[in-house]
Order: sequence, then C-alpha cells, then structure tokens
Amino acid sequence: MSAFEKWQPTRRQLFGAAGALGIGALLASCAGPGTGTGGGGGGGSELKPGGKVTGEISFAHWRGEDREAFAKLIEQFGEKYPDTTITQDISTSNDYAAQAFRRLRDGKIGDVAVAGRGDQFEQFTKTGLFEPLDDTGLTEKYTASLIEVGAKDGKQYGYPYQIVYNVPIANMDILSSVGVTEAPTYWDAYIDMLDKIKAKGITPIAFPGADAGNAGQLMNSMVMNLAPSDDVFTQMQEGKTKCTDDWFVEMLKLYAQLGAYVQPNAAGTAVEPAQQMFNTGKAAILSTGSYHIAAVRALGATFPIDLVPARTNAEGEGKYEGIYNATFILGINSKGDNKPTALAWLEFLSDPKNAGQYGDETAQHTSVAGVTYTNPDLKRIAPWLDKKLVIAPRFQFLDLDMRNAVEAAGVAALTGTSPEKAAEDAQKIVDERIAAQG
Amino acid sequence: MPRRSSTSESPPRGEIVTTTELIVTGATTKRRFGVRRAGRRTAPALYLFPVPALIIYIAFFVVPTLQTFQYSITNWDGYSPNFDYVGLKNFGRAFTGDSLFTNALVNNMKFMGVVVIGQTAVALTMAVLLMRNTKTNVFLRALYFFPTILSSVSVGFIWKFVYDPNYGVINSILGSVGVQGPGFLGDATAAIYWLAVTQIWFHAGMMIVIFVAGLQAIPAELYEAAEVDGAGPWRRFTSITWPLIAPAMSIVVAYTTIQSFKAFDVVLSISGNPPSRALDILSTRIYSTFANSQFGYAAAESVLFIIFILVTVFVLRRFLRLIQRGES
Repeated sequence: MSAFEKWQPTRRQLFGAAGALGIGALLASCAGPGTGTGGGGGGGSELKPGGKVTGEISFAHWRGEDREAFAKLIEQFGEKYPDTTITQDISTSNDYAAQAFRRLRDGKIGDVAVAGRGDQFEQFTKTGLFEPLDDTGLTEKYTASLIEVGAKDGKQYGYPYQIVYNVPIANMDILSSVGVTEAPTYWDAYIDMLDKIKAKGITPIAFPGADAGNAGQLMNSMVMNLAPSDDVFTQMQEGKTKCTDDWFVEMLKLYAQLGAYVQPNAAGTAVEPAQQMFNTGKAAILSTGSYHIAAVRALGATFPIDLVPARTNAEGEGKYEGIYNATFILGINSKGDNKPTALAWLEFLSDPKNAGQYGDETAQHTSVAGVTYTNPDLKRIAPWLDKKLVIAPRFQFLDLDMRNAVEAAGVAALTGTSPEKAAEDAQKIVDERIAAQG
Repeated sequence: MPRRSSTSESPPRGEIVTTTELIVTGATTKRRFGVRRAGRRTAPALYLFPVPALIIYIAFFVVPTLQTFQYSITNWDGYSPNFDYVGLKNFGRAFTGDSLFTNALVNNMKFMGVVVIGQTAVALTMAVLLMRNTKTNVFLRALYFFPTILSSVSVGFIWKFVYDPNYGVINSILGSVGVQGPGFLGDATAAIYWLAVTQIWFHAGMMIVIFVAGLQAIPAELYEAAEVDGAGPWRRFTSITWPLIAPAMSIVVAYTTIQSFKAFDVVLSISGNPPSRALDILSTRIYSTFANSQFGYAAAESVLFIIFILVTVFVLRRFLRLIQRGES
C-alpha cells in the first residue's frame, strides 16, 4: 500500500488545506484587474498603409442591431480580399463598457473596435488603446466637421461613423395641416406651431418622461442656443457653471412652458408608448431623435418625417440650427496583431459606396463624405448635414450621475416642479459628484 | 460495560467508532475521517473529487467576493492600471456625501417594507385558502405560480405597459368609466409602491407554494382537537397555524427580503436605464455607479449592500420569532 493510499487526513489537516486555499484565493484576488501594468500604447503589429491584407481579424462593437448590415459588408470585403476573415464580436453596450475593454486591452478581440463618444473614447485614448490614424490617409474621406469628437490633442484616433440627430422628429403631414412645412427657427414660432397642433385636438409632443435616457435628448436643442458657451456642460462638470445660473433656470422655464403641450402623465410615459402615440398620429412630434425613425417605420408609420429642433432663441438669432451625435467611433486597436487587415477593413467602411449601403440599411447617416443615400427618410433629412449643427451637448458630461441629474431637472420642470427647485435639486447632485472627485 | 459520558472524551485506542456515534456523541476531536466503520476505508482519491467544484467556487465566487472588499477601499475607476487605497473614505461618502445612495437606500426600505408585508400576507392568505389538494386548488396554485416562471425582463415590460398612463390597461379601464387614472411610475411619491406591486405579483406564487407545504405539514389532529374544544377558524389560525408555520414563515421572510434588495432586472426593465430617482434602489444604484467608472466606490456600495441584507434579515427573523412566541 502506497503512502498516498495510507493517507487519512485529520480534521485539522482538512481545515489547514481549506485555509491554504482561502489564503490562495485572497492572494489571487489581490492580483486581479486593476493591479496589472496594462495600458499604454504600443504592442501588436505596426500600423502602416500598404501592408499585406490577409488572415483573421475581430471587429468588436455593441451594435447588435447593425449585425446584418455589417455582415453584408464583411461578405463584400471577403470578396475583395479572399484570404481574410472578419469576426464580429458583439456585446451589449453595457457589457462592452464593463468587460470588452479588458479583452481589447489584451488584444484578444477588436482589431477594429468602436468607442462611445465621451468617457469611453477618453478611456481608449488615455490608455493608448486606439492607434493614431493621421498617417493612414483615411481622414480626408470624412466630413471634417463631423469627426471632431474622434480627435484628441491634435491627433485623429477614430472616426465617428454613424450620425444621428438628437432633436425632436415630426409627422410632417400634421405639421403641414397647420401650415408648417419647415422647422420653426425661433421659440415663439415653435410655440405658435404647438398651439395650432393642440387646437386641432392632437397632442403636440409625445414625451417619454419615464425613460431618462430618451427624455434627456430634448435638452440638446433646448440648450444649444441658450448656453453661454459651447462647452457649458464640461464647465458645469468642473464646477465653473451651475444649474442655478440664470440661463439654466431660464431654460427650465421654457421646459415648463412645453409642459402644456405634452401628453397627460408625461412623467410616467415610457418610450415605446410615446413612439406609438407618434406612429398613430395621436402626437405630432416625438421628442427623442432621428434614431427612432426606423423604430417608428417598423410600427407602420408611412407619413413623412423631418426634424424639428426646439430652438429657444429669438427671431433672427441663434447660433445653431440643430444637433448631431456620433453613435460610435471606429478605431484600430494598438494591441491588435493584424493591423494591415484592420486598416483595410476601416478603409473599406470609409468608402462612400459602402458607407451609403450601411446608412441605407441602418436608416442612419454616416460621417463619410460624398455618400448618396437611397433610403427616403435619409434623403429627406440629408440637408440637415449641411446646416449649422453642434454635437450633442448632453454628452459633454463624462459623469453619468451629473448628466442624469441635470436632465432630470428638465423633466421635472416640464412635469410641474418649479424651475428653481428643479435647478437646486440638480445642482446638489452635481456638487456632491464634484466633491467626490476631489 | 460503562458508557462514555463525556462528548470530548476520546474512544479507547483501537476502538472503532461508528458514524452514528460520531454524530451523536462527537466523541473525539482528532479522528480519522477515512474511518467510517469497521473494516471500511475511504479511498484517498475520493478527496480529489470535490476539487474541480472547489476551484470553480473559489474562482467565481470567493475571489470576486474578496476582490469586492479589496476594491471597496480603493479609488479604482475600473480601467486604469493603477489605483490608490483610500481607507474607509468610500463608506463615509455613501452616508454623508451621496444623496443618490441614501435616496436609493430609502427607496429600497420602502420597497422592501411593502413587498415583505404585502407578499407574505397575500401568500399566506392564498395558501390557507388553497391548502387542500382539490382539483380547483391545484389548478389555482399552478395559475398563481405561473408569473414566477416568466423572465424578469418580460415581467418588467408587461407591467411597464400595464402602468402606462395613456395606453396601459388600468387607465384604459378607468378612462372608459370616466375616471382619471393615477400617474403610476410618473408619480415620484408613489412610484416605488407601484413597483412593489409588480414584485409581489411576480413572486407571490412561489411563496404560496412554500406556505402550502408548511401548512400541509401541520398534523390534522391538532385542528380536529381544537374544533372539538370549540375553537373557531380565527382561533385555530392564531393558535395552531401561525405558530406552526414559523419555519415556512422564516424562509419566506428571508427570501422575500433578499429578493427585495436584489430586484434589479425587473426595476431596470420597467423603468429604463438609468431608473428615475423615484425608482432607484440599491442594486440599480450600484449598477449605475459601476457604469459611471467608479468601481472602487461601487464595490463599497456592494459591501454595504451585503451588510444591509444581513442585518435586515437578522432583525426581521428575530422580530418574527418574537411575534410567534408571543402569539403561541
């Protein structure tokens, strides 16, 4: 009989073994994420135009709804470069934020990857995850004014690809019936339009007050011509401006004015019922943005749709006509080991024909220059690309708690809270967050 | 032969102790685990069998739990390679400098109060009514159990439409008879209670099953004897059912309390992300904090979350025991 076979552990020995495992677990936990030396640029292969396009790459993103559109483009890419394979690694946006970053940092996925505007793009550039793309020759293929948020410290790290307009959308049949064929360009005209719609027995605005993310979009156009500076929310985040400042309270008073034109119990309305109100013609305007056009079409809407930003300026004034936002920013992972193919894929997506195909299939514009769209909705709102647009101010907030608090002030004012009280409540959260950041 | 009287006394050298003796007497403090009974020996290799499970448990439960405690005293943002230890600062901030956290805590306590009382009362009442195994009762128990098997996201979406002030079924019915319905989730004061109603609807079926099992375990003779003594239904309930249902009640209260704290997916699917302040509870707040790149602080909130659950369950169970002792 071997010594092992003879071995009969005592309780003490078993406790000892369990203790050793526990200590091992403790040590293992101390060596967890955040304690490594990851980050920093470099690693992977070199990014140079003209490399051999072959082998496999991963395209990491959170756009599950774009899977099919990208799959078709990948197929076409495969016809052009037969020795290549592109795998889509799709996560939900929350999982992408929480987990994909680590896998991207290790180079396990995402030779080409996307980043959200704001905090996530900051992370990606701060940790050197995105390669600078200035020498790739791709930047010229994009509309310069639409890709600014993909640049940092004078370098272009990514291309904001999909462009949406975060301003209210309107049923133009209803608007035409009250004599409005183009978006009002000042506040009084806007209110006049809402009055006429209301007089016809139609709810002027469907407002999803119970859905913070969608309800917050209205603040973009409300703030664009009232804010003392374009980076007002960046300043607010740094404590340089406050929700209790006059301009902000003034804006909340305009929100309160809009309260007369939304459906009853707007604070309790989720986004889907709001879409349904818009789709069925019970409401003339949906306060969210162009990204809901496809959803409304899917519900069966056939009426013409256009953008109607809530412009708060006086007649003949106003710096901006509308809002746009980049849904995601395309970039190349510095840790990837097949950069020539990654670059070729990015170049393929940057081609106007392919970008147009993507735009038509997803019902969204892209920032690629010279694209011709065939989707009727995209064709109708294409002129907005040439208007004076500002990138959605609400996303200047890198701190989500602050953003939510500030936007909640708008919802509160619209649904009956006094503007001053709503402003104070929001500022309290902002102050706490600033204090926490030290 | 005299029996051993002390539980700490070791058996005489060479004497074999049976498993039953070990359990009953706890006869020795240093006994060989391999010895089960005379002539039988556990193969040492058997000790290797739990190892895979143990490794998985340690890797996916113990290590992350310990990491949570570690990160709770850091300012880690979740993606930077380095972080600083900040001591108990995160815990102090949760109570003194974060009204979002205290708001979520207050909401959670309101939510829990309504769910624990409401769900327990509904489930116990239904269980008493459906205790007998008639065909109708079995069918109704299955019917009430049905929501439990739905996915929580589905439940959230169903109730989102039930509560919708414009298209929702409740306000549509009220509207058809000329009554203006409530704002439901849009009413900042009442929203958390409407959320509790959803939670009760979702989980009461499971609690009914637990209570029915507990009720059916009570000997029928006790009720018969009480009836002979002239006890009415209420007296039989307070003197027999209530004290003897204690084990089931403890399970229900503990489970419901934990559920009330962990109600995350229902809340998020009914309210959208992020939830409004009126619907923000601890689990959704922790999630928002993680999403806001404050991993260290979110870990501290998670530690507090665990402590709240432990304390609340402990207090409730003690309270329940006191009530039941008093009643009996």
